[in-house]
Amino acid sequence: MNVLSLLGRNLRHGPYTEPFPFGPAPTAERFRGRVVFDATTCEGCKICERVCPAGAIKFSKTKDGLAFALWHNSCVFCGNCEFHCPTGSVHQTTDWHLAHAQARKYALVELGLLPNQICSACGATALATAPSLRGVTPPLSPEETVTLKSMCPKCRAKFLKARRAKP
Amino acid sequence: MLLARNLKQIAARSPWLYRINSGSCNGCDVELATTACIPRYDVERLGCQYCGSPRHADIVLITGPLNRRVKNAVLRLWEEIPDPKVTVAVGVCPISGGIFRESYAVCAPVDQYLPIDVNVPGCPPRPQAIIEGVAQAIEIWRTRL
Repeated sequence: MNVLSLLGRNLRHGPYTEPFPFGPAPTAERFRGRVVFDATTCEGCKICERVCPAGAIKFSKTKDGLAFALWHNSCVFCGNCEFHCPTGSVHQTTDWHLAHAQARKYALVELGLLPNQICSACGATALATAPSLRGVTPPLSPEETVTLKSMCPKCRAKFLKARRAKP
Repeated sequence: MLLARNLKQIAARSPWLYRINSGSCNGCDVELATTACIPRYDVERLGCQYCGSPRHADIVLITGPLNRRVKNAVLRLWEEIPDPKVTVAVGVCPISGGIFRESYAVCAPVDQYLPIDVNVPGCPPRPQAIIEGVAQAIEIWRTRL
């Protein structure tokens, strides 16, 4: 009887083998896969470069601004960068389709650029990083965030100081 | 005779896999064993089977950052595999050195010493990613026959 019930269960369940190369593969929701970078929300703190155990992340100064580069062939998918990123601009996706031919080895890079901008208050050249909003009370309105983003770090500090002193 | 020759061309050949551990932490090796031994992944659906001797192999899977100590053994083993062969680097260690990069004890990346054809990054790569890499390797292998 035991064998018959087992047989029945297996017939009902179907094959246990995943159809993967011929069909889709199930992926966990929180799977730690390919890392992506969003330059619009990056604060430019470079903490991801500092905590990366494999040295896969590299920031470099260029004439256009601060360039971000992450080589997927060096990344160990530990998630340290995502864990330490204050804004979530570096995060891991569930994409794991990274197998590639040797010719594409050095093309598997995630690139981003924090461009230079002219400060809207003083006219100095500074990086267009996202403003750090932690500990700012009351929270900034969207218009204030845009104004703050267009300033250099010194003018941002002045702006926030003036805002604290206002009420 | 002609029929036999035609049959040889039509036949979907089955490449055999061979695994070289060049100083790996065994993470990737466990995933390689998983792809072969666990029915859920089952790399044998692609016609691949692990073999114990390098002389029977068609596709070589290299794991590990190529330790200085095993370097000569790995190179000698790789030479013993008959052509045409396809070399697959499994995990970030053979590809770039991963977290062991720039260590005095490792000779990574492996492509300084051996011609690599397919890279499967991951630390370790998941079994499906390895199957994906093996599928790419089989395509390359078919063109070399």
